[in-house]
Amino acid sequence: MNKIWRVLTTGFCLTLVTACGSVGGNATPSSNATSAGGSASAGGGLNINVEAGSLAGKTICFNFQALETEFWAAGKTAISEALTRAGAKVLEFNSNEDANRQLEQIQDCVTQKADGIIFIPQDGASANTVISAANTANVPVVAFNRPPADESGKAIVVVADNRGVAKQTVEYMVTVAQKQMAATGKKLQPLIMVGDLADVNAVDRRSGYFDAMAGHDDLFQKSIEVETKWDATTAQQNLQSAMQANPKVDFVFTSSDFMYPQIQSVLSPLGKWKVSGEDGHVILGGLDGDNRACGLMKTKYVDSTGVQDLLFEAEKSISELTAAIKAGETAPSKKVLDPGFALTLANMDTKQNDMWGCVIEPPK
Amino acid sequence: MDHAATKPATRGGPPAPSGPVVSQEARQPLWRRLLYSDLFVLLLTLIVVLALLPFANGLLSPGNLLNVASNFWPLLLIVIGQTFVLIAGGIDLSQTAILAFTSVFGAMLMTTAANPALYAKSPFWGILFNENGGVLGSGAGVAVAWGVMMALGALIGLLNGFAVSRVGMPPFMVTLTTTLFITAFTVWSTKSENVLNLPPAYTALATSWIAAPIAVVVAVIAHVVLSRSVYGHWLYATGINARTAEVSGIPVRRVILMAYVLSGVFTALGAALYTARLGAGRPTLGANLLMDVIGAAVIGGVSLMGGRGRITGAALGVLFFVVLTNGLNLMGLEFYTIMWVKGLVILSAVGIDTVRSRLEARS
Repeated sequence: MNKIWRVLTTGFCLTLVTACGSVGGNATPSSNATSAGGSASAGGGLNINVEAGSLAGKTICFNFQALETEFWAAGKTAISEALTRAGAKVLEFNSNEDANRQLEQIQDCVTQKADGIIFIPQDGASANTVISAANTANVPVVAFNRPPADESGKAIVVVADNRGVAKQTVEYMVTVAQKQMAATGKKLQPLIMVGDLADVNAVDRRSGYFDAMAGHDDLFQKSIEVETKWDATTAQQNLQSAMQANPKVDFVFTSSDFMYPQIQSVLSPLGKWKVSGEDGHVILGGLDGDNRACGLMKTKYVDSTGVQDLLFEAEKSISELTAAIKAGETAPSKKVLDPGFALTLANMDTKQNDMWGCVIEPPK
Repeated sequence: MDHAATKPATRGGPPAPSGPVVSQEARQPLWRRLLYSDLFVLLLTLIVVLALLPFANGLLSPGNLLNVASNFWPLLLIVIGQTFVLIAGGIDLSQTAILAFTSVFGAMLMTTAANPALYAKSPFWGILFNENGGVLGSGAGVAVAWGVMMALGALIGLLNGFAVSRVGMPPFMVTLTTTLFITAFTVWSTKSENVLNLPPAYTALATSWIAAPIAVVVAVIAHVVLSRSVYGHWLYATGINARTAEVSGIPVRRVILMAYVLSGVFTALGAALYTARLGAGRPTLGANLLMDVIGAAVIGGVSLMGGRGRITGAALGVLFFVVLTNGLNLMGLEFYTIMWVKGLVILSAVGIDTVRSRLEARS
């Protein structure tokens, strides 16, 4: 009996000690960012301009999803570090792609009297729910990089012009395709890897792709659409199936750079992973502008990359929130558009350092 | 779960017979009585609150208590469903799939508008919903949609219960494979899209003052069924020893079947509240919730071995879980730290459940 009591008591105390052992919250930037590249923190080049002390005495809640891509990991690091440099007490929450958990965490932020919220929505629907909760609590809120499904709530929305950037990216790919067709006389077989269409970003990138492809029926067969749900495993499986059914695919646009490893693993065994100019090269383009994409552009496997200006978006998120807090606005409503640009093999020499993925240190 | 296992009568079930057993209870040491009592969980909850209070800013603030309440009600309904199945000696791993399935179908029926660009490829486009909304997208339609959600939950429960009770398949495998089928069907139904634009009359359910009476009434009914009805007695007897119960004339198969049906119904009710809260039917609803459900039930004294558990205990288990999660969030811990702690807590609860069972076997 005594032994049982000792075991139970020890187990319970261990549980509480584990919880209490991490007291103090995240007043300093977290170094636990996880990413596809495996780096604990993305190092140099991610410093964004922020006025030191501009958020002194303020508590800012930063809620993000699982950091499964370089873009999110770099964005999280940039924002966290900048908020700390601004003097804010930062409450960080990882909702791990769970919309209900994200809502609970935002409510907990409000309980802790956060002065402002920056969050990365799981999707458009959950963005609306979070914004509604923040509006009810009169806490200014910024939605980073993913817009809400509709504009029923009031928030500062910082988002890239995904449609325009995707269009620019694919337009360059089309010029390459025109040269190829001129040389071979054969139409190309295009394929687009589509993101999760519950995410407005994915919808816009797909739209941008088709905007650029419009009017080129003489150049291309009908586009094959591969669904990825923003998941690497799903992307690889579906791409494999698509390539099995359509081995002549020679023009691929991926809605996000994080899927390049999957694309390489599918194209390589088929003998289609070739550099630009080499016989059998698949004209390849993507969007985000991460470090991997930079490397692949330097080695000429990728022809064109649409770049979201991560640092611009992160800086605007913080500066707009700071301005709203200082002005006493509890429900600011504004849309900040990141125009982005397309980095191509033609402008690589002059514009590569404008791409955040070429500036940050590569993952170790 | 081995329905044929021989186990003595356990506490946490129907009222104990009078005479010598009552006297034995009175002679048991305090720690043992506490271990079997629902008060144990309440005491744990109070200890957690006191332990976290210095570190969790705003833990007892009115706003936070409302948040805790809004997290409590939907989880309670789902745990009640799991309680019925666990008492019967089974387990229902398909609750998360039922959550998503009923969420999405209820939303399709209730939506007030739908974008063809997102949903035109859904097999139910033009049947259950179109660009003008769902077939039940109006005031009274919300109540009907709820009924449909519960019916769908009951249907899945019926399938689970049939496979377990009639075919004799292990509950673990049945409900796990049901999860695969239902999840795939749900994703196929909306092509993975969330279903938006739910009626304001429905999303208003998310407020505590509406969700609370619904959950309380349901919990009271479930408590009465378990503790006062013939079915409740049959359920405990089946969970203690199915073979003996069958020999005694209890329709064990029907009892088990009904337990899974009830699990499906209660899960659908939980889905209704979660869906209202999130403002959308989500095919991924509850994907990470299963361990919370089972953990809360076990913490509340519902035995994984069957034959033991009360609605009051389950409710206190949910309260403990929700308060713990809330407190850890307010402490600003990393989400993986919170997962570690929750895992340890669940493991401890299972350990306590095992200890209880062994003590009962010895006595």
